Amino acid sequence: MPGSVTPLSVLGPQTEDERNRIRQQFEAGAGARETLDALCNLADRTAQQIFAEVLRVNSTAPQGLSLVALGGYGRRLLFPYSDLDILFLFGNEKAEAEFRPLIADFSRTLWDLGFRVSSAGRTLDECKRIEEDNAEFHLALLDRRLLAGDEELFDRLVKKVMAGSEKQARPFLLAELTKLTKERHARYGNTIYHLEPNVKDAPGGLRDFQAAAWLRQIAGDQRDGWKNSAAEEDLSATAVDFLSAIRCFLHYSNARNDNTLTYELQSAAAERSLGIPKGPARDLKRSPEEWMRLYFRQARVLNRLLLRYIEQKPAAQLSLRVRLMNAARGARNDIGKGKPFAVRDGLLEVVDEQALSDRAVTFALFAEAARTGIPLSREAERAIFYILKHPELPQKNTDLKWTTLREILGADFPSMALRPMQRLSMLMEVLPEFRAIDSLVVRDFYHRYTVDEHSLRTIEHLQELPDSSDERATHFRQLWKTVERRDLLILALLLHDVGKGMPVENHVTGSLEALDSAAARLRLSEYDTAEVHFLIEHHLDMSATVQRRDIFDPGTVSAFADAVTTQERLQRLCLMTYGDIHAVNPEALTPWKAEMLWQLFAATSNYFSRTLDRDRLHASDELSLLEQVSIQAGGANKTEVERFLEGFPRRYRAVHTPAEIAAHFQLYQKLGADPVQTELKARHHSFSLTILTADRPALFATISGVLAGWGMNIVKADAFANAAGVVLDTFQFFDLHHTLELNPSEIERFRKSLADVAMGKAPLEPLLKARESASKAKPPKVAVETRIGYDDTSSMQSTLLEIMAQDRPGLLYEVGSALARLGCNIDVALIDTEGQKAIDVFYLTERGQKLSQQKQELLQEVLQSTLS
Amino acid sequence: MMKLEAIIQPSRFESVKDALREIGIEGMTVTEVRGHGRQKGHTEVYRGREYTVDLLPKIKLEMVLPDPLVQRAVDTILKTAKTGKIGDGKIFLSRVEEAIRIRNEERGENAL
Repeated sequence: MPGSVTPLSVLGPQTEDERNRIRQQFEAGAGARETLDALCNLADRTAQQIFAEVLRVNSTAPQGLSLVALGGYGRRLLFPYSDLDILFLFGNEKAEAEFRPLIADFSRTLWDLGFRVSSAGRTLDECKRIEEDNAEFHLALLDRRLLAGDEELFDRLVKKVMAGSEKQARPFLLAELTKLTKERHARYGNTIYHLEPNVKDAPGGLRDFQAAAWLRQIAGDQRDGWKNSAAEEDLSATAVDFLSAIRCFLHYSNARNDNTLTYELQSAAAERSLGIPKGPARDLKRSPEEWMRLYFRQARVLNRLLLRYIEQKPAAQLSLRVRLMNAARGARNDIGKGKPFAVRDGLLEVVDEQALSDRAVTFALFAEAARTGIPLSREAERAIFYILKHPELPQKNTDLKWTTLREILGADFPSMALRPMQRLSMLMEVLPEFRAIDSLVVRDFYHRYTVDEHSLRTIEHLQELPDSSDERATHFRQLWKTVERRDLLILALLLHDVGKGMPVENHVTGSLEALDSAAARLRLSEYDTAEVHFLIEHHLDMSATVQRRDIFDPGTVSAFADAVTTQERLQRLCLMTYGDIHAVNPEALTPWKAEMLWQLFAATSNYFSRTLDRDRLHASDELSLLEQVSIQAGGANKTEVERFLEGFPRRYRAVHTPAEIAAHFQLYQKLGADPVQTELKARHHSFSLTILTADRPALFATISGVLAGWGMNIVKADAFANAAGVVLDTFQFFDLHHTLELNPSEIERFRKSLADVAMGKAPLEPLLKARESASKAKPPKVAVETRIGYDDTSSMQSTLLEIMAQDRPGLLYEVGSALARLGCNIDVALIDTEGQKAIDVFYLTERGQKLSQQKQELLQEVLQSTLS
Repeated sequence: MMKLEAIIQPSRFESVKDALREIGIEGMTVTEVRGHGRQKGHTEVYRGREYTVDLLPKIKLEMVLPDPLVQRAVDTILKTAKTGKIGDGKIFLSRVEEAIRIRNEERGENAL
């Protein structure tokens, strides 16, 4: 190659001077657009000048070669240390061979001038072909811009080649772009809320805006769903400007193409009010945390836009399996019947947007998502957003009641509602305490996400348990399925770290203050508040015990159990700890830690069921309880209350609220008039029955028998006795044949039947016989092996009988009858069911003593034959 | 230079780490491990399900130390990790031939 290009000694200083000038202007407050434009002009000018020069030196004309700017450079968004994406477009292969040495000269000179050239070479024919393994190139080509060279060739590329091939490649590009976006988002944990976000590639970064623009370009901007309102366009433009300013700043600060907004640079950016246009807002002093909130607000705009577009695009629809599952769920749950929303393509859509002016409808929509696990469509979110942003539109029922919130939090998929509520800022409306941690960056090297994101992730990790194949989830899956009052657990998770955004020394104190204000506003009952209070106050205790105590030391277990007090609390605290550690970062919950957590849970749970009768209530020590029960029972005589409470196991006090105990006491007072007192309540999908009466032989078996005779399946039961021999049994059961549900008049007959059989006025056998002939036992879906075991050491007074067997109607009656026949007295019974497995623990005595070895063997034999 | 590996009870980890820091040892590799020596595992029953705890959770500390620090480190670990019960763990010492810092290729004790 003869001669050489214009000396670098001339171009070098000129380019460097210009770069410095642009940087100085940026640092003096020039906007991002202005800076990017200047950088792009510099690159254009230099590339054109060098190209002209190499042509001159080689005495050649540019016919057959076009220089095309691609990608960000093509869009004229060139950041200080970004690559120059250039396509060398050749008319044909012959031109390619001729121009190759010239291109090498051109690229080398640009490199030497400090431009990072990222080039590709294609002939016109090659541009027609779709390279299936290189979607990125085709996407970059969408932003083509002629830089220099053969104009006619470029014209042919645009009008003849791309016009056809882009249409043909549309499905491929849409699918690939969606795939690339999902992979990119997954790399960043599918969240914008990183403590140190990448402003280009993370969700909510500039790449999201670009992907949205490509999607719109590929789809041809034809459908309604792609159109943005003027307000949305404004929001996007502001967000792009804000993030572009940050990216320029990061490039200049790091002196390379590094787009991570580190803690250090967050402080520097906040100091100079980066991204905020000139005016009074820019002069305000902001902490790095406050400035980061502005960042997340803008990132949210870009992320929301992209996700909406992805949902619009047919290729991004949910898989057939998911759609069928969602449709089946929808059908099963009667979604849409007479409601202003419906399931379409596996997503919850708003059918009647006018109805959203009633906030009760919006909350019902969220409750539906939480109940069924079907996500809200982005269009539905957009419709809600519109209403929220227009306060002049009529709105009613804007207050959220605890009963509705409870429905959302206690459902199987709470996060399906909480996520959109957070995106729409409605979570902060219904739970203003959450505002303290909105997009809050708390700097540590352990957490990866902002505090609000961490809190929502805790809930998602729990919600995913039933379907998780993760080995860490193994033991906790069943806990999640059987935990009671899930709503309290989820509320505690939402609030547990709120104190991190409050000016308090210990964040737990702040979170508890937040609970107090939320509980007062939502009118939580005293019991509910106390349970959530416990979880927040002790949310770090279980992981601290696991990591800093010897969990194989019985002393550790008993001390921990004493602090936790009940099995129900233990279960909720364990799940809370599991979610809390898991949501810190993807690696925080190691299988080792999960195993340790489980060991502590199991040891404590076993401790509870084996030491249940050790502690009895001494009413004279429970002055505050006496006081509360007396008041709640309408000013009852405290001596009477004391007599009633004396001698119940402590568990009775722990699992019942003062209001419930007062109700029990009122039943107790009526025993004189009617010796069997019952209370029946319909609960969610089940009934709860409380029976209060004087103890008599085979009472527990008899009541179980009546329930079995009426076709009820007992899933949970407790039996307690006080010192005076008054027995209080509670049963939770499913009405398998909907007898009580469909025939309200039967409820009275059911109560009478219970009382008559319990008092011996009516025989039990005919009831059972009638049921036997009416029911055809279905074969069980899962076979459960019968296991019977004794524990003679855990209790001072009783022998513990532990039974695990296949659950079936009448099981408890059979076991109870066998115990009664053999003269065993039930001090305490804990009945539970997991799926088709019945897990029963009885504290047994015989004439006030533990069971003899002989009696244990005989009982074992009888039960084995009864149950098999 | 010696390599010190210590297997200790997880509950003693924080105390051991703090005590080592006090004698100037900050750099160590910590691994969550499972295992058992003479402290055999046991079987637990939870709600009718049996599960074996035959491999007990332990923490493994590894550090390479200049010779003068080795005995002090051993003494510190013995003092802070000991509960007197089976399962307190073990310390292993082995000689290290060379240490190289990747960043600047420093060698020997300077690289520690």
